[in-house]
Amino acid sequence: MSGYAELQCTSHFSFLRGASSCEELFAHAALLGIEALAIVDRNSLAGIVRAHEAAKVTGVRIVVGCRLDLTDGTSVLVYPIDRQAYSRLCRLLSVGKKRGGKATCFLNWEDLADWSDGLIAVLIPDVADDACALRLRRLRDIFGDRAYMAITLRRRPNDQMRIHELNNLAQRFQVASVVTNDVLFHEPSRRILQDVVTCIRHNVTIEEAGFLRERHPDRYLKEPSEMARLFSRYPEAVARTIEIANRCTFSMDELAYQYPEERTMPGLTPQQALEKLTWEGATERYPEGLPDEVRAKLEHELQLIERLHYAPYFLTVNSIVRFARSKDILCQGRGSAANSAVCYVLGITSIDPERNDLLFERFVSEERREPPDIDVDFEHERREIVMQWVFEAYGRNHAALCSTVIRYRAKGALRDVGKALGLTQDLIKMLSSQVWGWSEEGR
Amino acid sequence: MRVMSRVVSLYLPTWPTDRLRRKMGAAAPDAAKPLVLVGLSERRREVIAANAAAIQVGLRVGMPATKAQALVKELVIHRADPVADAEALERLALWALRYSPIVAADDPDGLIIDATGASHLHGGEDAMLAGMISRLDAVGIAARAAMADTRGAAHGLARFAAWPRLVVPERKSADIIKPLPIAALRLPFDTIQGLCKLGFETIADLLATPRAPLTLRFGPELGRRLDQAIGQIGEPVQPVRPPDIVEAQQLFAEPIGTSETIARYVAKLTAKLCGELELRGLGARRLDLLFGLVDNQVQAIRVGTAQPVRDVKRLTRLLCDKIEKVDLGFDIEIMRLAATAAEPFTTKQASSSLIDEPEADVSGLIDILANRVGERRVYRLASVASDVPERSVRRIAAAAPDTGDGWPTQWPRPARLLAPPEPIETMALLPDHPPVNFTWRGTRRRVRRADGPERVFGEWWKCDAELIAVRDYFQVEDDAGERFWIFRAGDGEDAATGSHKWFLHGIFG
Repeated sequence: MSGYAELQCTSHFSFLRGASSCEELFAHAALLGIEALAIVDRNSLAGIVRAHEAAKVTGVRIVVGCRLDLTDGTSVLVYPIDRQAYSRLCRLLSVGKKRGGKATCFLNWEDLADWSDGLIAVLIPDVADDACALRLRRLRDIFGDRAYMAITLRRRPNDQMRIHELNNLAQRFQVASVVTNDVLFHEPSRRILQDVVTCIRHNVTIEEAGFLRERHPDRYLKEPSEMARLFSRYPEAVARTIEIANRCTFSMDELAYQYPEERTMPGLTPQQALEKLTWEGATERYPEGLPDEVRAKLEHELQLIERLHYAPYFLTVNSIVRFARSKDILCQGRGSAANSAVCYVLGITSIDPERNDLLFERFVSEERREPPDIDVDFEHERREIVMQWVFEAYGRNHAALCSTVIRYRAKGALRDVGKALGLTQDLIKMLSSQVWGWSEEGR
Repeated sequence: MRVMSRVVSLYLPTWPTDRLRRKMGAAAPDAAKPLVLVGLSERRREVIAANAAAIQVGLRVGMPATKAQALVKELVIHRADPVADAEALERLALWALRYSPIVAADDPDGLIIDATGASHLHGGEDAMLAGMISRLDAVGIAARAAMADTRGAAHGLARFAAWPRLVVPERKSADIIKPLPIAALRLPFDTIQGLCKLGFETIADLLATPRAPLTLRFGPELGRRLDQAIGQIGEPVQPVRPPDIVEAQQLFAEPIGTSETIARYVAKLTAKLCGELELRGLGARRLDLLFGLVDNQVQAIRVGTAQPVRDVKRLTRLLCDKIEKVDLGFDIEIMRLAATAAEPFTTKQASSSLIDEPEADVSGLIDILANRVGERRVYRLASVASDVPERSVRRIAAAAPDTGDGWPTQWPRPARLLAPPEPIETMALLPDHPPVNFTWRGTRRRVRRADGPERVFGEWWKCDAELIAVRDYFQVEDDAGERFWIFRAGDGEDAATGSHKWFLHGIFG
């Protein structure tokens, strides 16, 4: 029996499209004996981190990928082969998202060609017509032997003929075909949830949805033996799923956190600069002489910062706070950063570590192995000035506004599902009043 | 001296529920059971009307429906229909024409009757009101009535002082309404609230206050309503009129009997009727032709049309087609033709043959067919966005405008669907193979070619049985080249999705 890797899984990070989480997909794939799973969300790599963790837990290999919907209506699955290709894919998405604005992504064939090195591309065709032929030729021109075409069973009339014609067309353009299943959920019973989220996406009730619903059924994970049976006419296309999965050697483990260099004082390393600033700040903070206790604390903290290479980060925060202070903009560090004597002497926070015996390890610790975060609040009316300075100092392409990702909690989910099912507002209100507290994490 | 007008206000406190019970007839719930009508008010389901029993147990109009359900066990809930209520009220006004020629519906819950100089015909004022209430009561409509000098006073008294009836002597109305609450004045809700906030409770309080500041604060409506109540300004009642029926009649000194003669007179009557319709700019949608026979029997025929029609020839033909259907027996003395339903007739410019093709008008054909075989049997089909074959089409009226939904051309669908699908005997491999052969209506057919499966899921939001139901459709061709659309209930793997029995659902070509 040949193996099978599912190369087209949409997780719920394709918001209101996928109906299963990465954890569910991978757990189910492990159960079915699928060798590898590619998470391909729409114009997004957002689900990859969760998928990477789920892959580690379940032992099913992950293939990092993304589905690109181009502006001319073409859909292409792309998989980076190595780390360079992954960074190119990220760049490609950044280009599209910057052009598209909020929640959209505008990409065209030229962009795809520009960033195509090291990417495997799989075309998602509809029927074997001229448009499909044109797309195949273009894909072949750009990707060469890294171009493939997906063949997917739709369970609709003329399915076998459609796949046969597509396969012939692909052969004519010397593009290999590969089986995918276009998975939207991990098991059949999720179909109803998928219909509901589709309704929410289109803002209609289920009664009105009609043909807006997914029209190609059976979008759940299937066993390798079942896939081999369904595509018994195309065993080589089934085998190619493993081939592609093996070609993609990139793993998220290759990525490490890289903090940009911070050069405030020429000739000094960031650590030296931070130490210099710290001792200067200390004499300012304690004009009557540095207490031994604080000195010991500062030394301990600086050692830890040096070991963990966090000095540039402290310097960045320091320079932003300095700027704000120079413009008389009120600012105040808060949270666990207040446990740090270094932050105190630099003027980022204003809680004297001498008087409050606080544990620095709550802020930075070797065991936790994750970078510290320093929250700084700025006076909201003049916060824009600080933001503009950050843009200027670091360059627009190197600064980003962070936002939180919202997701459904019980009440919001209840409201939207109720709307999709056509319940009246007061009934939904009554139902949601029965829900209290926060829902479980992650689901 | 001017004759004082006398106005009756008839108040129907539970009109919507009474009307519903009357409409439901024997199926109506017990009158002692709480019954509420529920409707949407700004996307909230609210109690729109409640019967006496429901009010007794503490339900109120304006309460959320869910709250009412929570308060009362076994509450009977029906959907409110304010439009039908208003229409029925108009019809009730027509009934009340027996008391006086000037009657109007007093939306939403009453009638107003100008009974000036009419009460003596009904045994005096009090007896007239008593008669009204008891007649309505006999048919299950609760009513209270008050008679006063002005419409405003009668309206307020009927609602706040008549238990169940009250006749105010002439010229006493202005005094007697003084202790009534200000809600009796037919004022907007906001004004009433505003007045309550200022401490006004009764009409007397308002009358004792200078008018100017009140007008400044609440606008002219308040003063107008006050004056109408005490009779300072008049308020005429706009009476209802029975709908005009366009009709034409022919009396025969010598009764006629032969069908040729009848047909001739039908043509004459139709021409007369059409002339009348033309004057009014109407076209007939429904015609009733009544034959008064010499033995005092009445026979009737009725024809309907899909669109307003005023064409003499066409209507005559429709009527004559039906004449054979009535059993006259005796000769005819009177023929009466009435357009019992008529609609405004829009004229259309005849298209110039140079520019565009005239649109074929098939409404004549539709009428002839519909009157022969029945109106419901002539219809068109429109597509519905549903994957379940039975639900993918619906019937619409033959002359209905296009729905705008085209027909899906993506996937082949049979021209004929069997309703319901017929079971067939098959030999087929699971899970997703087409049958090798099948037996339908006693004929065994070998499957030469097949395409499928096309998987169609049940529409889970329609009913529980369809939550996981699946059908796998196959298009199969037999030896003779005939093509059929067959399906297996279930997906061939999971028995919960269907019985795995096979059915024939449609025939191609």
